Amino acid sequence: MIPYLVVKALHVACVLLFVGGLFSQAFAVAAGQRGDAGITALVSTWDRRVTVPAILAVWLTGAAIAAEGAWFASPWLWAKLTLVVALTGLHGIQSGRLRRLRRGDPPPAAMRASHTAAFIAASVTIIALLVVLKPF
Amino acid sequence: MLERVDPIAMAEDRAQIKRLRLVSLVEATTLLVLVLIAVPLKHAFGYALATRIMGPVHGAAFVAYAWCVIATVSAGGWSRSEIARLSLGAFVPFGGFLNAGLLRRKQVELAADQPALP
Repeated sequence: MIPYLVVKALHVACVLLFVGGLFSQAFAVAAGQRGDAGITALVSTWDRRVTVPAILAVWLTGAAIAAEGAWFASPWLWAKLTLVVALTGLHGIQSGRLRRLRRGDPPPAAMRASHTAAFIAASVTIIALLVVLKPF
Repeated sequence: MLERVDPIAMAEDRAQIKRLRLVSLVEATTLLVLVLIAVPLKHAFGYALATRIMGPVHGAAFVAYAWCVIATVSAGGWSRSEIARLSLGAFVPFGGFLNAGLLRRKQVELAADQPALP
């Protein structure tokens, strides 16, 4: 049995990699739409090797921590999970867009990188507040 | 728009649909085990451990499937009805198995469109 604090540390480390990967993707999609093939290739490789495994680990360690703390009945956790699901979905969308850009297909309808980054930053801030304060 | 097609991106497309096929079957199987075995065991025999194990296992498979569907269809080449079919497949027992033919067909189409890596 892995000690609780080790699982928690792993969770935090993987969350940092996940969030870093999301920001990288957002800016790589914008760079790809401007024709920068190098950045899209670099971020795609990083995404496949680091961010995707980190997301998997975030979900697994997160579920273990929530079960350990018996927090599945707490509304704050479900509010947090809604945002994590949205961020995971955003990662999927951006992964698809990066592959599409690398294929040389016309880019999809533009989602401004600054808006995407603002959404990620706001979500992460709310998640941190919910996890630390556990307000409800 | 990028000027040249990246062969690694083509290989990634093929790998992505292969991953979706696998995760779809896993998600469908865990849903069937949960609904047809674990839930009856809990309610008919009071054996709650089955749902305590299969619930999180199916939850993880569902999240993985949802991510795979989003990442696959966001790359383009899928009609709205195909996307709806893939999405509904996660909620209906046997849905993942019913979608196996569609995913196999798409994989064959993709392989025909794109040359293999040297």
